[in-house]
Amino acid sequence: MKDLARLRTAIKESVELALNQQIQMEMVSSSKYLAMAGWCDRNGLDHCAGFFYKQSDEERHHAMKLFHYLCDQGATAYSPEVPAVAQEFDSLRSVFEGALEQEVSVTDSINRIIGICRRESDYATEELLKWYVKEQMEEEYIARRCLELIDQIPADQIYYLDKKLASVTYDGNVFDE
Amino acid sequence: MTSNVPATYQEVFRTDKGVVYQCDASYRLILEFWNTRTQFSARDFAQFRRMVETVDIRQMALSTAASDDVEILTLPRSERCYVLTLCEIVHLRELLNGAKLMLDLNSMLRECGCTLPEPA
Ligand SMILES: [Fe+2]
Ligand SMILES: [Fe+2]
Repeated sequence: MKDLARLRTAIKESVELALNQQIQMEMVSSSKYLAMAGWCDRNGLDHCAGFFYKQSDEERHHAMKLFHYLCDQGATAYSPEVPAVAQEFDSLRSVFEGALEQEVSVTDSINRIIGICRRESDYATEELLKWYVKEQMEEEYIARRCLELIDQIPADQIYYLDKKLASVTYDGNVFDE
Repeated sequence: MTSNVPATYQEVFRTDKGVVYQCDASYRLILEFWNTRTQFSARDFAQFRRMVETVDIRQMALSTAASDDVEILTLPRSERCYVLTLCEIVHLRELLNGAKLMLDLNSMLRECGCTLPEPA
């Protein structure tokens, strides 16, 4: 008997489901970062606003990478539902705390999907997800470093803090050559 | 109904309420249930199984509203639909899940390089 599902796509149902959930999660991240960008923008924190606008674009890009992967593999990608996200924040610190928490839950989710890939012997998807593992290291590093800077820089130096936060990058990723 | 089964149909799974066949010639899965035959691509079959799986039968059982007595399921890429009672949903689930199990088994055998002997 032919394996019709396999002839259509190399992606198993469980992996397809998990990747679609990840697409949704990345789009939720994108929406959350956009709300953070808006909050920074209207509170005069131009550099941080720029930082979060860029993050928001990147998260959409993360979702689209998975979306195209599913389509190219013959699987089905669904345009996700994105629920309402918080638009107001108590402080710049709480914005970055929210960012770090979101990144941690994304990292957890990526790791869970790699577990599913291993169970299903889906090495191609695992290979793709390695990119996300590395990306998450950077994202968590940056969010944590920003929270450190918020603690280190005196609260009245807002202009300096705003500029400094937006300039944080992760150059020392051990996975980079 | 079961009497005139085309020669290309291979039985995947059967309960006393219905049968699922696979036709290797047309790459279709065929659901025979309620004296009707419906052809599905592998993709649509998986989608339909998920539709049946996610029907809230608890709600159907507990609710006294007339609209909760039956569930209307539109078949993928088709004008037709199934109007199903709670019992029929349960029977359909049993049939579709059994068929999925056999299809998964077929995949596993292929993955480890084995094949089921073709029926004579
Ligand atoms: Fe992301
Ligand atoms: Fe991120």
